Amino acid sequence: MKTSAVFSALLSLLSLASAASSDKGSSKSTLPSTFKPPQVFKNANLVHVISVEKNYVKENINVVVENIDKKAQDEYYLPFTADQISRLGGVEVKDRKDTIAGPFVAENVEFDPESDTQYLRIRLPKPLAPGAQQTLGISYYILKAYSPLPAAIKQEEQQFLTYTFSAYVPSVYTTSKQKTEVKFPSGNIPDYTKIPGSGDIKEFPQKQGSKLTYGPFDEKPAGAYEPIRVRFEFNRPVTHVARLERDIEVSHWGGNVAFEERYTLYHRGANLSSLFNRVKWQQSQYYQQGATHALKELKFPLRVGSVDPYYTDVIGNVSTSRFRSNKREASLEIKPRYPVFGGWKYPFTIGWNSDAKNFLRKTASGGFVLNVPFLEGPKQNEGVEYEQVEVRVILPEGAENVKYVTSIPTQSISSADVEIHKTFLDTIGRTALVIKARNLVDDFRDRELVVSYDYPLSASLRKPFIVFSSTIAFFVAVWLVGNIELKFASAPVSKK
Amino acid sequence: MSAETLQVLADVGKGKSTRGVLRVIILALIAGASIASRLFSVILDPWFNFRATKYLVANGFYNFWDWFDDRTWHPLGRVTGGTLYPGLMVTSGAIWHALRALTIPVDIRNVCVLLAPAFSGLTAIAAYLLTNEMTTYNSAGLLAALFMGIAPGYISRSVAGSYDNEAIAIFLLVFTFYLWIKALKQGSMLWGALCALFYGYMVASWGGYAFITCLLPLHAFVLILMGRYSTRLYVSYTTWYALGTLASMQIPFVGFLPVKTSEHMPALGIFGFLQLLAFLDYVRSAIPSRQFQTFLWLFAGGIFVLSLAALVIATSAGVIAPWSGRFYSLWDTGYAKIHIPIIASVSEHQPTAWPAFFFDLNLLIFVFPVGVYLCFQELADEHVFIIVYAVFGSYFAGVMVRLMLTLTPVVCVAGAIAISTILNNYLVAKTPTEEDQQAAEAAEKKGTKSGLKSATKPVVGIYSLWSKSLMVASMAVYLLIFVMHCTWVTSNAYSSPSVVLASRMPDGSQHIIDDYREAYQWLRQNTKEDAKIMSWWDYGYQIGGMADRPTLVDNNTWNNTHIATVGKAMSSREEVSYPIMRQHEVDYVLVVFGGLLGYSGDDINKFLWMVRIAEGIWPDEVSERAFFTPRGEYRVDGEATETMKNSLMYKMSYYNFNNLTLEEAFTSENWIIRIYKVKDLDNVGRDHISAAAFEKGLKKKKATKKRGPRVLRVD
Repeated sequence: MKTSAVFSALLSLLSLASAASSDKGSSKSTLPSTFKPPQVFKNANLVHVISVEKNYVKENINVVVENIDKKAQDEYYLPFTADQISRLGGVEVKDRKDTIAGPFVAENVEFDPESDTQYLRIRLPKPLAPGAQQTLGISYYILKAYSPLPAAIKQEEQQFLTYTFSAYVPSVYTTSKQKTEVKFPSGNIPDYTKIPGSGDIKEFPQKQGSKLTYGPFDEKPAGAYEPIRVRFEFNRPVTHVARLERDIEVSHWGGNVAFEERYTLYHRGANLSSLFNRVKWQQSQYYQQGATHALKELKFPLRVGSVDPYYTDVIGNVSTSRFRSNKREASLEIKPRYPVFGGWKYPFTIGWNSDAKNFLRKTASGGFVLNVPFLEGPKQNEGVEYEQVEVRVILPEGAENVKYVTSIPTQSISSADVEIHKTFLDTIGRTALVIKARNLVDDFRDRELVVSYDYPLSASLRKPFIVFSSTIAFFVAVWLVGNIELKFASAPVSKK
Repeated sequence: MSAETLQVLADVGKGKSTRGVLRVIILALIAGASIASRLFSVILDPWFNFRATKYLVANGFYNFWDWFDDRTWHPLGRVTGGTLYPGLMVTSGAIWHALRALTIPVDIRNVCVLLAPAFSGLTAIAAYLLTNEMTTYNSAGLLAALFMGIAPGYISRSVAGSYDNEAIAIFLLVFTFYLWIKALKQGSMLWGALCALFYGYMVASWGGYAFITCLLPLHAFVLILMGRYSTRLYVSYTTWYALGTLASMQIPFVGFLPVKTSEHMPALGIFGFLQLLAFLDYVRSAIPSRQFQTFLWLFAGGIFVLSLAALVIATSAGVIAPWSGRFYSLWDTGYAKIHIPIIASVSEHQPTAWPAFFFDLNLLIFVFPVGVYLCFQELADEHVFIIVYAVFGSYFAGVMVRLMLTLTPVVCVAGAIAISTILNNYLVAKTPTEEDQQAAEAAEKKGTKSGLKSATKPVVGIYSLWSKSLMVASMAVYLLIFVMHCTWVTSNAYSSPSVVLASRMPDGSQHIIDDYREAYQWLRQNTKEDAKIMSWWDYGYQIGGMADRPTLVDNNTWNNTHIATVGKAMSSREEVSYPIMRQHEVDYVLVVFGGLLGYSGDDINKFLWMVRIAEGIWPDEVSERAFFTPRGEYRVDGEATETMKNSLMYKMSYYNFNNLTLEEAFTSENWIIRIYKVKDLDNVGRDHISAAAFEKGLKKKKATKKRGPRVLRVD
């Protein structure tokens, strides 16, 4: 297919943003509602690693696939429930043996929105010959994955979360041999489902420190399912950013790139069973060295050279922040106005400036290339998940021919458009590239966003010219009005 | 620098147009300085005005006019559009729209924050214009502009973020006075109409417009008494009064007050009086003077008696409202405390302490009388205005701290006249020679035709360069100290907004105590959208604006009974308070507690006012005496009275006081704000007091009284 060729060369090519917007549908190609993935593959060997160490779930499927069909095949399907697929993001597929090949194309297949089973389609760069094998490394993230148990706890109690998954990897193909490993943040796992073992192991799972291992299992048919529920200690905030709006404004005249991020942040952990008590909070800060499931602080390691940070919310400036900036780091540490407990909400805004030369470069052909991080959220031990991200790159007025490329997995990008943003002293408005993404996590916080655009000299002179000419016009108008004779008497009246 | 360059520089300053340009530059710099000096710390304060402006910008002018706000004064609501002075909001809305039209889409919040400093720049220019009408020295105008720009008495109300009516009202006040003087001097209908226009704007902006409404007639009256009635006065006053009154009646909140209330009667009276004088003037020109004398006395006396009688009758019949309570409190400083405790409970309505004059005006308070004296020396119509203004402004500033604001402009003008006169006399580099003086004396001896001795000025020459420079140098030092004082006062006293407290860490770094906003943000994010918050009225606007939650009472203290209800709930036992809170659908109660931090402006400190206001409505149920120990002390420690210990406020302020009906929902970091949640009825529909009583095995009290329709308020 044509698109597959385009996408395989993704990193080397700058895809037209306008083309990208018309490609919106391509990440969700429609198939007939009776669609069933053809049984053309077999999972020869599979290791499923589920990591619940952070406040989102990261799953890794390392699988050796074998083509059991008579023809060469290039489409591998992975099934999810409809609920899961809405929370699925950051899918990246690599060849474990051939790391140079780069990520493969993975996309959600939409064939019947009512159906509970949805598929993720992975396109192999080269069709796999009959009988041949290929080792795939599939990694993805699932957001809003946990539910706290008990759902409401006291302020000083430990927080426990549960996660439910299948012992066998969900697959549309027969799996000959597989193993599921679950990694936990700590060894405190009070409850987990036990299932009968196989071979010389009597009972699954096996526990080693903070790791549970289910399997190895022998051959399982497609769609085999064995529910497993684990309940583990997670005495850290379950930080969930429902919406992040990130504005990157480039000013050529000012030689400045301004960043502003607006967060709508929730704590998805266990609610408080009784109302907040300041005394207990202060005691726990003192006695338990601050170990708590409330969110107390967010740390933003910004790019070196970031200056003038600000931290505000609806009410105004928030005074509890620190900014350390030197040659090696620019670290912004902010504290919410109040400790954020489970079920609480805390929206806020941060922003900073940076010298344009840190991000902007002029190309030989006269255009400009802007290279900024796609995401620069907080770096927390417990991780941060982002449900919706909207990145707006506001280019100078008159910038044209905007193209972008990003190393964020394409499966997570839902749309990209070029819009017009009108603000200070604009006549035709500034060109803004708006990229919407969903279900991202802080693992992607240093992925790049490269935007190239042309900015002709005439466009850069537009604003000074307009300001100058309108000021002159104003003076001329005042002069004309001042010359109008308002008095009835034409002869000058002498005044004393 | 060589003498030639100095000469060139001196010559540059001499040309007329050069001076004009210099004046404009100096004025621009003064305006810039007055804006800059107000930017020490920026926190938006009266949140109600900001909220109203946002509403205006979002919904348009007519919706704003008809705005009924159901998120305040729950459950009554407030007819906000008809009970506020819209000038401030309309001004910032207009600026916002104008900037947008100029493709500068700033946030309305920034417009609001910077409105007061921007208008202070305009006030400085208005002071320049006003002073220029008084004296021929241009330096006086520039000095007045400078004083006006940085005088702490005005800065106190116009720092960045202080988004209150005074922000624009002082500019309007000074500018209206300037237009009045201009109109009076020229007898011009155009200037009079402009004066009326700005007067209308002033009425739309600030309740203090009554100051103009009283001062202009008073000035006119004094002029008449001095025998200075003229057609100029007639034209300017009648133009101003007729147009200005019509303009002021366009504001719904003012409405028919200008023809109904006593505050506005002097203006009407002088208006009528001027008509009579004009009539008499005409008659005098028509009949011989001997007959005219008799006619005059009879006519004037008759009219005066008649109109006084009409006024008294109209007042007693209720056609004209008597002086309002707020006005009485201006004459009798003890009046408010007894009759309207809600006014007396505001600290800025207290009489001014003497040091406050020095604190707010520094050097100017010394030179102010000098300036007034100099006005007496010239005593043209406009000087009379300054004198009248000085006398009245001083009196009102002494009665209420807040009215220092209206005194400041006249102090600046008078002070500038005084200082510029001094400087002008001593800054003359040319020393008079003996011959000059002898010639002058000889001329004086010869010219004996000007009769009065006091009217001729003695010729005094200052010979010694030493004394000149000493005088000028000391004046310069005073002025420098004035600037330093203003900067210090502004940065230390007037730039600390009420919602943020600043303190120092052990290492000397600044630590900001931000408890108010912490709690408001918590309320905003983590409670129901329509959760009703009960608190003392001081925090009403803040809760409405920052926490965006409905309140029971707020800083617009229009309903004394409602405030008293809150006061009663705070000062009574839980058994009394709980039904009140249930009836008002209160979800949370917010108190300010400074005990942990030693913060004196807390609710326990204001508690007596709550008690007093509640006692004003329910003297049988709340008694101030019961909160004092038998020895007459107001104690909150172990020896507090039983009434005190059982009051809801006391229980909420101190930790874990076994509240039955409330539970702690949030306490801010330094405990300044404590928020309690009102418990719902228990599973069987009992309130928690009766449930606890049942647990203890107490008999249920006979609830005979509670049957039948409940009467909450007895007015």
